[in-house]
Amino acid sequence: MHLDTFTVLAISSAISAILMLGTNHLRINLFFYCVHTLAIALETAWIAQRFHDTNLYWIAFFIILLKVIAIPKYLQWVMTKIDVESDVEPFIAAPLAMTIGVGMLGLSYLLSLQFSSLWTEVDSRMGAMAAISVFFTGVLLMLSRKIAVSQIIGFLVLENGIYLFALTQTHGMPLIIEMGLLLELLAIVMLSGLIVFRIKKSFEHIDVSRLTELRE
Amino acid sequence: MQPTPIFLDLLAVFILPVLLAIFTYINPAIGFTLRITAFAYWVELAAATNLLWPILSGQEEKLIINEYFVVDRLAAFFLVITSLVMAAALTHAQYLFDHEDSGDHGVLKLARLRIFYVFINLFFLSMCAVFISNNLGCLWMGIEATTLFSAPLVYFERSKNALEATWKYLIICSVGIALALLGTIFLFAASQHGHLAEGTLNLTSLVEQASKLNYPLMRLGFIFCLLGYGTKAGIFPLHSWLPDAHSEAPAPASAILSGALLNTALFGLWRVTQIVIASHGHHLIIRMVLVMGVITVLAASLFLIRQHGLKRMWAYSSVENVGLMVVAIGLGSAPLFLLQAINHSLVKVSLFLLSGNIVHAGGSKRLFSIHGVIKSCPVWGFLLTLATLAITGAPPFGTFLSKLSILAALAKQGSWLLVSVLLFATSLAFVAISVHIGRVLFGAPRAGFKPFYPLQTSAMPALLLVCSFVMSLVIYPAFWSFIK
Repeated sequence: MHLDTFTVLAISSAISAILMLGTNHLRINLFFYCVHTLAIALETAWIAQRFHDTNLYWIAFFIILLKVIAIPKYLQWVMTKIDVESDVEPFIAAPLAMTIGVGMLGLSYLLSLQFSSLWTEVDSRMGAMAAISVFFTGVLLMLSRKIAVSQIIGFLVLENGIYLFALTQTHGMPLIIEMGLLLELLAIVMLSGLIVFRIKKSFEHIDVSRLTELRE
Repeated sequence: MQPTPIFLDLLAVFILPVLLAIFTYINPAIGFTLRITAFAYWVELAAATNLLWPILSGQEEKLIINEYFVVDRLAAFFLVITSLVMAAALTHAQYLFDHEDSGDHGVLKLARLRIFYVFINLFFLSMCAVFISNNLGCLWMGIEATTLFSAPLVYFERSKNALEATWKYLIICSVGIALALLGTIFLFAASQHGHLAEGTLNLTSLVEQASKLNYPLMRLGFIFCLLGYGTKAGIFPLHSWLPDAHSEAPAPASAILSGALLNTALFGLWRVTQIVIASHGHHLIIRMVLVMGVITVLAASLFLIRQHGLKRMWAYSSVENVGLMVVAIGLGSAPLFLLQAINHSLVKVSLFLLSGNIVHAGGSKRLFSIHGVIKSCPVWGFLLTLATLAITGAPPFGTFLSKLSILAALAKQGSWLLVSVLLFATSLAFVAISVHIGRVLFGAPRAGFKPFYPLQTSAMPALLLVCSFVMSLVIYPAFWSFIK
């Protein structure tokens, strides 16, 4: 198989997401999240220069500004404030979760064969494969982890998967929609970060699997 | 594009909530804010009705503002209903919050109320944006914004339970809405890979050219949108956030969540379903919507049997009604969907406001510790009886009519299995709710049950019940002709 930049970037974003499954240490998770999002931003820029689309350059710029720099910095600040370093006893142990993640990558490949390729010169199905795999990784992160910060990180990965899918399968959505999307994501992360503070203050832990008061 | 005069008028209507939000933020006297906001939403209701009258009365088909925003007839009705719900809930809220201050720290309460009133205005604005958007992307952003702006309302009590409910609400709805985004992307891809000139998210052109879309992608997109907007609306397996958020939010916020927010999510679902209905070979998917609606009704009525909280019970009753609305959406009938939505909103807002009174006066949310309301406060007891009858679909209220029409339309399609399940489920819900409310109404009055402002706090629930009664008299022939 001939490897071009497009495929390399897509797959490296998928693999760095899977690496997040391999450790419970939150700061390492955040580092891999930055690498993973950076790969997606570069992918955006690559498609922008390939198809001479200036809008996509702007989106790549804002992804780096917001998702690679602002959001991880904010989450790091939250983690320092509430003094949490790693996830306690996830539902699925890290090595097993990573193995499942790799299995999901294989499954994503099978799923991606269902899509028709968008471009003749580049096989965009590799992008679909990476996107579906990132999406599954995000779901797995949200399901396997217990503390609130990990849930936020899992959600971010899941959203990245959706974005990557939009990018590689539709030439990118209209600019105004993409911008709105980024802003809303930022707002969600800010708000849930604030709620994490409150949870820590009221419950003295941030293990959301123990928030079961409201069940009948 | 040159802004049309009507656009400026509409802008004037929507600028009011923004001004109110800013005013609330800078004004230190919260008592004044409570009164001015309540008053302003009645003005808003009058202005919106006046402006949208040509559409509401059917003289004009739709009002095109620009490429992204169009007000059609259904949207106009929903805008008016949402304004009414806001006006009623906020008018009621002033008495409830006025009375609440006993034993609370004054400063803290001031801050909480200020945040509440800032966000409730923004919340209203985001709901309006959903109704008028003519673009799947704008629709999605609007629905996402409603989650963001309503989460602080759920957290109003600042208790552990409220915190838990807010967290669940934010996370579950964000993930759900992310799925809807995936669905939107699939629909966009369907327009790119189909026989259209170029990819579009514009709803008008998507519906017009639905048969030219790439069918497998459109189907996938619809399923994800159903899951996503369904989470927000509280369709059965995805409803888990709904009872928590509705029972932990303060009564006016619960009323708005149930009476306006659920409509918003269902409206999103309606828009997407329209695309599928306009395309060919849609029978299986539409069948799926119908079945999901019926399962939601059935599940909610089973949950209703064993209930411990008063407001939690109404939340499950909302899930039941959402199920009915999903059935109406699956039938592809705008009048039925609208009829059920209006009637449900009117009665459910009335119920949540009354329950807020009762919970506040009795000091407990638990069904078993509330009893003898009819003796403690006859006005509330009487209204609660009427509202309970109304929500369970008993005549002579509008809900009876809407449930009957949905059943009739379903029977006309020949789906007898669905009709019988629906009949069974609504009867079960009727019995369950009646038994629970019977316990609340009768028995020895609870010691320490202190009714406050009995007349003022009854005004809004009574008004909404009268509206519901009027709905059953006025709309009848016009709506019946739609499904004949």
